[in-house]
Amino acid sequence: MVVRFWILALMLAGGLGAVGWAVRGARLPPADFTFFNESEIKSVDPALINGEPEGRIARALFEGLTRPRADNMLAEPGVAERWEISADGRMYTFHIRANARWSNGDPLDAHDFLYSIRRLLDPTTGAEYAYQAWYIVNARRYTHGAGGIAPGDPIEVELHAPVGTPDTVRGEILLGTLLRIEGENNGDDLSSRDRVFVVEVAGHERRFQAAERDDRLPEGIERCRQVLLDFREVGIRAIDDRTLEIRLENPTPYFLELLSFYPFSPVHRGCLERYGKRDWKKPENIVSNGAFRLHERRIRDRIRLVRSDTYWDRENVRLAVVDALSIEDRNTGVNLFLTDKCDWMTQTPPSVVRVLLAQRPPRNDINPALQLTTYFYLLNTTRPPLNDVRIRRALSMALDRDEITRVATAAGERPAFSLVPPGLPGYNQQPCLPRNPNEARRLLADAGYPGGVGCPKLELHYNTDQVHQSIAELARKQWQRELGITVTLRNEEWASAQQTQQQMTYMISRRSWIGDYLDPNTFLDLYLSGGQNNLTGFTSAEYDRLLADAAREPDKEKRLRMLEQAERILMDEMPIIPIYFYVSRNLVKPHVRGWYNTLQDNHQLRAIWIDRTVDPNDPRPNEFMGRKP
Amino acid sequence: MTAFVVRRVLGLVFTVWVVYTATFFLMYSVPGGPFSGERQLDPEIEANLKRAYNLDLPVYQQYFIQLNRALRGDLGPSYRLADFTVTEVLAQGLPISASLGILALAFAILLGMSAGIVSAVYRGSVADVLLMSAATLGIALPSFVIASLAILLFVFLIPLFPAAGWGTVRQLILPAVCLGTLYAAEIARITRTGMLDTFSQDYIRTARAKGLSEFVVVLRHALPGTLLPVVSFLGPATAGILTGSIVVEKIFAIPGLGWHFVQAALQRDFTLEMGLVLLYTMLLYTMNFLVDLSYALLDPRVELK
Repeated sequence: MVVRFWILALMLAGGLGAVGWAVRGARLPPADFTFFNESEIKSVDPALINGEPEGRIARALFEGLTRPRADNMLAEPGVAERWEISADGRMYTFHIRANARWSNGDPLDAHDFLYSIRRLLDPTTGAEYAYQAWYIVNARRYTHGAGGIAPGDPIEVELHAPVGTPDTVRGEILLGTLLRIEGENNGDDLSSRDRVFVVEVAGHERRFQAAERDDRLPEGIERCRQVLLDFREVGIRAIDDRTLEIRLENPTPYFLELLSFYPFSPVHRGCLERYGKRDWKKPENIVSNGAFRLHERRIRDRIRLVRSDTYWDRENVRLAVVDALSIEDRNTGVNLFLTDKCDWMTQTPPSVVRVLLAQRPPRNDINPALQLTTYFYLLNTTRPPLNDVRIRRALSMALDRDEITRVATAAGERPAFSLVPPGLPGYNQQPCLPRNPNEARRLLADAGYPGGVGCPKLELHYNTDQVHQSIAELARKQWQRELGITVTLRNEEWASAQQTQQQMTYMISRRSWIGDYLDPNTFLDLYLSGGQNNLTGFTSAEYDRLLADAAREPDKEKRLRMLEQAERILMDEMPIIPIYFYVSRNLVKPHVRGWYNTLQDNHQLRAIWIDRTVDPNDPRPNEFMGRKP
Repeated sequence: MTAFVVRRVLGLVFTVWVVYTATFFLMYSVPGGPFSGERQLDPEIEANLKRAYNLDLPVYQQYFIQLNRALRGDLGPSYRLADFTVTEVLAQGLPISASLGILALAFAILLGMSAGIVSAVYRGSVADVLLMSAATLGIALPSFVIASLAILLFVFLIPLFPAAGWGTVRQLILPAVCLGTLYAAEIARITRTGMLDTFSQDYIRTARAKGLSEFVVVLRHALPGTLLPVVSFLGPATAGILTGSIVVEKIFAIPGLGWHFVQAALQRDFTLEMGLVLLYTMLLYTMNFLVDLSYALLDPRVELK
């Protein structure tokens, strides 16, 4: 009995002790500003991320040559205080501020950008957004590594770094000229590893093969980590410590905005090379250059940011401590917002938006704004009957987009009749044909299926999600009603759905696209023949030519006209059916200032401040309510 | 006793290996990989990424590489939470899930056993019917319904507790109660059945015949016998509750392990998923082992063979 008593007592004490231990230190002093940052982020490394939750953190921690203006996302001076652009629009010269500093106090100079952009382009970095930098001369060839070089090219051979050095340190670089490639790849273009590169290095002919440290190589072949274009061929150069020159392949009107995008952020070479590719991002190690520093990370709880005291524009940063909540459940986020534990709720669930928008008097913390994002259906143009343009048009004309945005989405989304969303200055969207069920039936009959008789069953595929499902059910109902065809639905969870689209084993599939920059090109270049994100089998030589010409065209007006012609082709051929344009779904407390609705739903933490004098019951709207969608 | 322990430890090693292997091949047979995204990767970059994580090798080779690393205690980097290793993720999440679980279990045992004993002693009374109806309801209602009701009641209508989060004891109470309800209901039913069973035993009749008070008969003589089925329920339940509840952790934004189970599978975070499965298997096995040991402690008639 005594033994049992002691065992029980021990268990109890152990249990309570464990709880106390786990809760200890879990309490943080409150932040000035707390926002809902959706899921736990993949990384804080600006070169290795591509999602919006990651972007919000990266934009706070790092800053590129330019930075986005808080109210409209246009580029304004960031680390570069000024720049010159050559007359042909292809040469940019940036002058870096004298007071640009890293968070450890080191000066930030042109060489830091050279290092960071090279790292972004390096194929072994694994940067998903490397292609954003391919506007720079030869950058694409550099990223393609061994696939981007041909005999006669100046190249660099990267040897393996000595065992034990951090994985961020490059091995010795040998510069030379590629003489020839032996053992051309045997159809499998992924493996550049079975090829031997014969290189002239300092007057000697040497043979290299990319291989791991422990791979066996035949006699006379040296092992290297990779072979790629000489980086000096890439159009980026540090003229001196404070001057950086970038040469572009084509005049790119949106290049300054692109540079404010986080992949172009500088990273601190010393920090990376000391701690290696995972540990440099730990709060105790990281060196950054943005308005905030990384203070603490709690997985699936929060990321705490504190104001940097070395940021060049620190006088204008008014939040001292910011919490980014990594919370999976959006309804939980809404609960936190409604109980004043969160000042900015992103991606509010549509069902909640609907309820909040219907409240009277109107709420002063919600104002959906039009986004640079399109929701559309892909049509597999290689599979009958969708290889017939009449069928594709009939499907689009039979669809009642108003009903979809009224019933299934209901946060003020706009029916879409073009791929490119509205709001891009100077560009006229090219609409597809409007809703016309009679004409749709006629087209279907023309194609050999009067009244839908004999038309193969169509399958509509989407990734598992409540909203996608409601929309798919509406589309099925409308198609069956107007055209008499049979439509089945198939849903897959997200990763499987991606694969289905990439392998084109679908007939009709849901997709959306968020514009990467404020230009129609970010949507239109998806449908280049063979483009990686085309996914529909659509090819058009005329379309490809128009986009290529537009890229080279220095006259901005002419360029936009060419892009309009390209979208005209797309909307006539209809490899996709646009459904609607997104609106943002932010909830913002009335005391938040410096928060603006923007087309890309990006918001600059450095510009935000809190006005505690605001009475929460004051019906007057906060700043972001000013611009209506 | 020693033979029993040795056999169980060998069993643990074998079980963990089987579960590890089965999970590994199941995961790798699902379409999509950790790097599939909406934007297709450049082939050169994708090849490099895959090579960095050995994903370019045949699956059986990857299996041996990972098994070898796991045996040396290295669970590798998480594919999707790229700034952390799997061990770091588990080390941050487990204490949180575990403390929530311990609170929930304490609540469940206290409430469940009291309700069960009262029901058994006053069998057929109004109290019995009410308690057992409540228990049935507790088992039948999914935890997201209980959690939503609790939030509606105690966060919005009567603002007693914070809506979500982790860090203070007040934030722990609602999730612990919601998590514990299901277990409390189960325990109440098991206790009641066990108690009624024990009441018909000879030794209880003896105790009563000796003229002991009903209080002593119930708590001193009947209760230990009743504990056996409760303890065997608690073993696996503890393993489950310690590694986190998917639903309760999600709704209350508790940064424990529960939601990692779902996310790791959906995002094809192979290494993290393997780490979680390993941890769960070992916990489950250990808890069952402890249950067997405690049988001997609770009931002198049980012999460990």
